[in-house]
Amino acid sequence: MSTLIDKTSAARPSGEAPEGSGRRGPLVILRGTGRYRGIVAVCLVLAAGFVAWGGTLQPFEQGQLTRAAIFAIAILGLNFTTGYVGLLSVGHSAFLGLGAYTTGVLVVSYNQTALSTIPVAMAICFVLGLLVGIPALRIRGLYLAIVTLALGVAFPEIVARLGDLTGGAEGLTIRRTLLRPPEWSGFTLGEKDQWLYWLTIVCLVLAFVVLRNVITGRYGMAMNAVRQNEIAAAASGVNIATVKIFSFAVSGAITGLAGSLFAMYIGSLFAEGSFTVLAGITLLIGLVVGGERTMLGPILGGLIVVFLPYYTSDLGGGQFSAVLFAIVLIAVVFVAPDGIAGGLGRVIAKFVRIEARRPEGRDGGLLGTRASDPEPAADPGAGR
Amino acid sequence: MLNVSDVALTFGGIRALDAVGFTVGPDEICGLIGPNGAGKTSIFNCITRIYQPDSGTITYGDTDLLTVPRHRVVGHGIARTFQNLALWPQQTVLENTIVGAHSTATPGLLASAIGWPATRKAAKQVERDAWDLLDHLGIADLASHQAAGLPFGTLKRVELARALISRPSLLLLDEPAGGLTHSEVDELGDLILGLRRELGFSALLVEHHMGMVMRICDHVVAMEFGRTIADGTPDEVKRDPAVVAAYLGTAA
Repeated sequence: MSTLIDKTSAARPSGEAPEGSGRRGPLVILRGTGRYRGIVAVCLVLAAGFVAWGGTLQPFEQGQLTRAAIFAIAILGLNFTTGYVGLLSVGHSAFLGLGAYTTGVLVVSYNQTALSTIPVAMAICFVLGLLVGIPALRIRGLYLAIVTLALGVAFPEIVARLGDLTGGAEGLTIRRTLLRPPEWSGFTLGEKDQWLYWLTIVCLVLAFVVLRNVITGRYGMAMNAVRQNEIAAAASGVNIATVKIFSFAVSGAITGLAGSLFAMYIGSLFAEGSFTVLAGITLLIGLVVGGERTMLGPILGGLIVVFLPYYTSDLGGGQFSAVLFAIVLIAVVFVAPDGIAGGLGRVIAKFVRIEARRPEGRDGGLLGTRASDPEPAADPGAGR
Repeated sequence: MLNVSDVALTFGGIRALDAVGFTVGPDEICGLIGPNGAGKTSIFNCITRIYQPDSGTITYGDTDLLTVPRHRVVGHGIARTFQNLALWPQQTVLENTIVGAHSTATPGLLASAIGWPATRKAAKQVERDAWDLLDHLGIADLASHQAAGLPFGTLKRVELARALISRPSLLLLDEPAGGLTHSEVDELGDLILGLRRELGFSALLVEHHMGMVMRICDHVVAMEFGRTIADGTPDEVKRDPAVVAAYLGTAA
């Protein structure tokens, strides 16, 4: 009867042998060790240096950097649901637009300060995200992309219909004096652009830290699990519906935050200009080229979608610059299918690898059962 | 105690399960055997709520499992492994194991976002449990390795770790010995018995490897064409004429 099983052994993949702990090659750095902290500190200092350098730039260059940081926030939001949970969204332009128009309408028609509209914009986008997350419970992949595409297409139309509130096709202009930096910040009206640069950086850092906390924690692992195998995730106790809906809502809120900052940055809102599906696709391009499912990817993506078209238009005018932009994008995706951050990560992993450290201290037996007999000798591993 | 009774399941015109019934007692290892296509995995999928039976009842203790949502089954103490592996290939072995503890210490989104101390503490504890389990199963040195690319037998152990970390009172094992060599199968049998002694759980074991079934099971249920054809001690079932006929065919 044992012949019944033997044929299954052929199913074993003959792939790569597991590497033992004694492997040669990359330097392994464990999380939480002094060395790891040192590397993190160096990265933080470099990032802080870059940001401080940005603070000293001329207005135009600084404005471009502000714009890149705004797109980085929007792409961070998109990465959360499209990257980690795998819910493809083409229509994130709607969240960007909704955030921008919330800020615009509240500042222009309701006399709110620009800063106080940020939480409102995020909350409204959160709710929209919850609603859009509902279809994501049943559909995924291209079908979900079509639903989100519809959202992206509908947004400018809806803005045009609500002309009384949004200014319709003529657009909504926020007078510069309405965007005066708050008293306590120490910035004057003339330094509005500098204020916005620092405000955007603070928002970017906050969004980055909050999303990183989720992604690197157990909630993030569950999100990854949902993307890769829903049945196994459910069997492990992950509520698929909650994870999908809330990831979409958080994603919407973060992209809405970017929208709100964008309104302050651009000053005049035209839905047909800034918030069409093309903007949604731009965010996706930034995500894919920067690096899906990496923390650094959205930041690189923000820089790319702002600066790359700028430089390609330097090299050739009009249609040619768009072609050049496309060629560069294809080249990047061809060389690094997992984006620039993913590609860099792969190269770095050949030399340095960061791995989880085993926590010290144990509490009795396996899983906290205080077995009377000591831990039995480790079983020789089957399958190794 | 798991109680399956009169469960029937059809896919279109195909009757996958037809009045299946058996019980798994506390701390009992129950073997579920039968030729391919007998409906063993279908029963697993009914218990874990992947399939909804057309009729019949499945209860665990006082809980009517057929009213429990899929992701809550593990919270009632029922954890499973899969016949053809259902891991998350891009995650590390450690992460695969940690997600298994989702039901015992569910991380909240907001608490994770702000790094709430209690959430961090729970995460540390889960991590410690995961390392201990991986150590016990002899795969701790692969903890930081992606699941993709590891050998089948190792991945079976990862699935076992993921199931065990939820501290199940009932473990559903779908062909744990599939793809293992003879000596590995013997080790696996000892491992399961050892884990039961240490952690205390009952198990329902779908397995084709008769040596292992006869050695570690307290009770064996045989199925054929979606029906239970025998139910008893390993010895009784082995000698049951219906079982012999199902496996070897009747004499001409």
